[in-house]
Amino acid sequence: MTMPSKTCEQILTDISGYLDGDLDATACETIEQHCQQCSSCAALVKGLRETVGLCRQAGSAPLPDAVRQRARESVRRLLERGPSRPSDAE
Amino acid sequence: MANVDVKTEYAALVKEAAAGDRDAMERLLLRAQEAAYRFSLLVCGHPEDAEDVMQDALLKTYQHVTDISRPEAFRTWLYATVRNACLMKRRRRVGEPRQLVSLDDSGEDRDGSATVDVVDPSRPADQRLIDNGMDKQLRDALANLPRSQRMMIVMREIEGLSTKEVAAVTGLSEANVKTRLHRARLMLRRQMERV
Repeated sequence: MTMPSKTCEQILTDISGYLDGDLDATACETIEQHCQQCSSCAALVKGLRETVGLCRQAGSAPLPDAVRQRARESVRRLLERGPSRPSDAE
Repeated sequence: MANVDVKTEYAALVKEAAAGDRDAMERLLLRAQEAAYRFSLLVCGHPEDAEDVMQDALLKTYQHVTDISRPEAFRTWLYATVRNACLMKRRRRVGEPRQLVSLDDSGEDRDGSATVDVVDPSRPADQRLIDNGMDKQLRDALANLPRSQRMMIVMREIEGLSTKEVAAVTGLSEANVKTRLHRARLMLRRQMERV
């Protein structure tokens, strides 16, 4: 078990910037080197990366079929009314 | 970058729709509705409100699209509109446990604990969203975040808005968005480990 250190605190502070690609090469290298020696920080980086990945997958998941069907019907009704007074549908 | 692609796709659809392309308009309206539904459901947790917010996004997008001068800013406008519609829905709810004046009022950082605001315990539409591909562990963890953190995660990670776009939608500085997103990610990870 690696003991917390100043560097661990820095990793915690910088981890989002690291995941977002906001850090410069030197800062990235510092994090990567630290993670090679610190299992808890390595687990944190891995876990956050996985979590962000799951979120991004969720963004591309289709909506429920019934909701999509209602959305399609709403669009069709609106477009059939023509472009003049869409607010009439309210 | 996926975010740039989505932004570019939206901008192209807006231009084509504004020029009278019916197919582009249809696709734009469908995408706007899907974004509105997902945002509303995940942030506020009421399936029936999500359907209303979806309808609101449909009409407002249709009305707005021919007036838009900066198609690349459409997505920011859409999420700001949806966020506002969610806020209005919250204000109209009677007897809700936590009456808030802002979706940004998180309750976070006061005592370090998460403010849970999962409203509809049955969540049938929620369940269908899970069935349709959203990881259940993620959904449960997300539901346990304070609302403002949930909104950060939904906009930035699930909907793929950039930091700059989230700042434009929320009125926060980019630095503030980054700080909030950082906290939200750490909290989400902790919740993922618990559920």
